[in-house]
Amino acid sequence: MTDRRKLLKTGALLFGVSLLAALPAVAQTQVYDPKTRKWGNYDKTEAYKYWRKNKQVPPAFRRQVVRFRTAEQPGTIIIDGNQHFLYLVQPNQTAIRYGIGVGREGFGWAGIVRVGRVAEWPTWTPPAEMVARDPKAAKWAGGQPGGPDNPLGARALYLYEGDHDTIYRIHGTPEPWTMGLNVSSGCIRMVNDDIIDLHSRIQVGAKVIVLMQGAALYKGV
Amino acid sequence: MRGRNQKASMVVAALAATLGVSACQSNAPTEDQMSRTTLETAPAELQLMCANAAAAQSGTESSKVLPVSSRKVDSNNYVVDLNANGKPMSCNVDATGTTVSVNPA
Repeated sequence: MTDRRKLLKTGALLFGVSLLAALPAVAQTQVYDPKTRKWGNYDKTEAYKYWRKNKQVPPAFRRQVVRFRTAEQPGTIIIDGNQHFLYLVQPNQTAIRYGIGVGREGFGWAGIVRVGRVAEWPTWTPPAEMVARDPKAAKWAGGQPGGPDNPLGARALYLYEGDHDTIYRIHGTPEPWTMGLNVSSGCIRMVNDDIIDLHSRIQVGAKVIVLMQGAALYKGV
Repeated sequence: MRGRNQKASMVVAALAATLGVSACQSNAPTEDQMSRTTLETAPAELQLMCANAAAAQSGTESSKVLPVSSRKVDSNNYVVDLNANGKPMSCNVDATGTTVSVNPA
């Protein structure tokens, strides 16, 4: 190999390393296994394996009442996108906590919005940008009727900022194993039983606070 | 000599008891704590306590103050960065929910 080739090769390697160093660290979900007493990475493959074996999500992502000290009114929805939890504030400093799936890298967002309207077994109409980038979405450009295969699942809560639809929703999913993961295009997804439960407890107009580190702020904040 | 032996056996017994207790203790998290991410953000309730404190201190409407990032400083303390109606603020909060300080960033 000539010196020039060596130099080019070294330069390319260094460039690659510097590019890697410049990339932001991606948060990895980890789940504790009580059998091995170890924390393990929890990605799409592990999540699907867990679901197939147990027919439910790991304990931390199951619906449960937790202590939650807050000045927010009961009925307020608080979403912790980093830890993959949705809290519905209850009286006496408690909340119902649900596991969620959130936006993948580049699709996360944060802001203070409200539930503008709700729907049961909603029709899914992909936004124009999604139709343009995803052939599966393009098939349903005119709207996919509600049902078990519909990406919005059993219920949808449509998030509004003032009177404007943000295009983001909290909804069910035909892929329940995706709780705890960053998988969506910005919507908050929940297991169908959980979104049915949440839908039965909230009022249209409920305040929704979305916390997501490093995400774009939704306008209005 | 007999007293020395007694002392030694008491020390051994105490050590054994300590080891026994340690062996029975577990660091396993409770079920609700069995997930985490490699990004150690502050719990949501602490982030919102900081937002409330910042709203009160800056005279900003609380619906215009949003936590935008947070990090663990040590086992008992977090820093929360806030957007208060466009202005950056920083808050220190401990795990009990006491806001230690709130300042413009």
